Amino acid sequence: MGEVIVVTSGKGGVGKTTTTANIGTGLAVMGNKVVLVDTDIGLRNLDVVMGLENRIVYDIVDVVTGNCRLKQALIKDKRFEDLFLLPAAQTKDKTAVSEEQMRELTQQLKEEFDYVIIDCPAGIEQGFKNAIAGAQRAIVVTTPEVAAVRDADRIIGLLEAALLAEPKLIVNRLRPSMVKKGDMMDIDDMIEILAIELLGVVPEDEAIVISTNKGEPAVLDKQSKAGEAYRNISKRITGEHVPLMNLEADGFFRRLRRLFGA
Amino acid sequence: MKVTSIEIHSSEGAGQALESNNRPAEGKKEPVSWEEIDGENTILLRRTLRSCQSIRYPGHIVIMGDVNPGAEVVAGGNIIVMGNLRGVAHAGAGGYEGALVAAFRLNPSQLRIANHFTRAPDGNYPEPQQPEIARVSGGTLIIENYHSGSSKLFNL
Ligand SMILES: Nc1ncnc2c1ncn2[C@@H]1O[C@H](COP(=O)(O)OP(=O)(O)O)[C@@H](O)[C@H]1O
Ligand SMILES: [Mg+2]
Repeated sequence: MGEVIVVTSGKGGVGKTTTTANIGTGLAVMGNKVVLVDTDIGLRNLDVVMGLENRIVYDIVDVVTGNCRLKQALIKDKRFEDLFLLPAAQTKDKTAVSEEQMRELTQQLKEEFDYVIIDCPAGIEQGFKNAIAGAQRAIVVTTPEVAAVRDADRIIGLLEAALLAEPKLIVNRLRPSMVKKGDMMDIDDMIEILAIELLGVVPEDEAIVISTNKGEPAVLDKQSKAGEAYRNISKRITGEHVPLMNLEADGFFRRLRRLFGA
Repeated sequence: MKVTSIEIHSSEGAGQALESNNRPAEGKKEPVSWEEIDGENTILLRRTLRSCQSIRYPGHIVIMGDVNPGAEVVAGGNIIVMGNLRGVAHAGAGGYEGALVAAFRLNPSQLRIANHFTRAPDGNYPEPQQPEIARVSGGTLIIENYHSGSSKLFNL
């Protein structure tokens, strides 16, 4: 029986879809059977990031309304045998799916797959409730900005209320040079407010933009720093202990210095 | 002892609605009446209040946790936070001027006692490094370090 993990944030544009594509692919590289579920109905783009847009025939709404069988809607990745995508519907809205339907769907999927990764829409309305309905674990993505952290805090409160305990944090688009100059929130500041475990830090990286446009997740790019961060995060999800990368550790070093009074 | 309403809610915009002005916090909720503050009427909250969560209680509120930015605490009596108070706090919400707000780190975005109001300065400012206590003295809201003698203030 597999695990259902929802990737969420509250705020839009912080990197949920990027994270879903990269950790999904990262887990598949490690030999896991993975399905990515796009629940951003009406605003789908996980298929584009995965480079699978031209293969879509059926979508998640077709599945839950019985318009097609689940197997028919699953799109196989072009690189990995054991990686699949269940795309969102483009023409419906978020109320086309209910929480109960999502629980049934994820139940079915986790019988087949090791990991079911759910890409959550922005916001806290029905789309969010649907996305978390069948999940056992949650990953909260934020950027080092006050507004994004505020929304992440809100989301953590809602996850706690939904009994999705102990969500893990990914800080995306960190720019170490800006942190060093004091122009960006550092990891310490964020962890102090959010008080959840850090799963990883992904730097701002042009490779993400390039790979997104090519439909090839950066996690496959050995040269990319963000790719390396996503490889580490994927390993941590499977329970492997991987120390934080140098750039990820920046904030922690600062805390050490603070302790020593420098 | 009668425990009156306690409400912890997490509603759309609960935090934001308060940011821009100094309206009393009641909104549509029942106003908290200070007659109900009997010295012992206290609630202990063992959690952190996150953004957009709030607690309102007619008596005193003690929080074993933080009050994060965007969260709100409204008490008819005193408010004591054993962690970092970064959100909005309103003590003496029914008009009781003797109410206090004490926190391990008193760092609120907005602080009110009875009808007195203050807010965090704009921009960056140094965070407090020790426990502090806020109260009304001589008609204004003052903040001072919390030290061993300060607990006497709670008995006033
Ligand atoms: N680490 C990063 N470095 C550079 N660009 C990024 C990074 N993460 C995300 N982006 C870009 O930010 C935009 C929003 O990302 P996306 O994953 O679509 O966010 P969300 O799904 O949360 O709305 C995309 O254009 C993406 O390419
Ligand atoms: Mg998205």
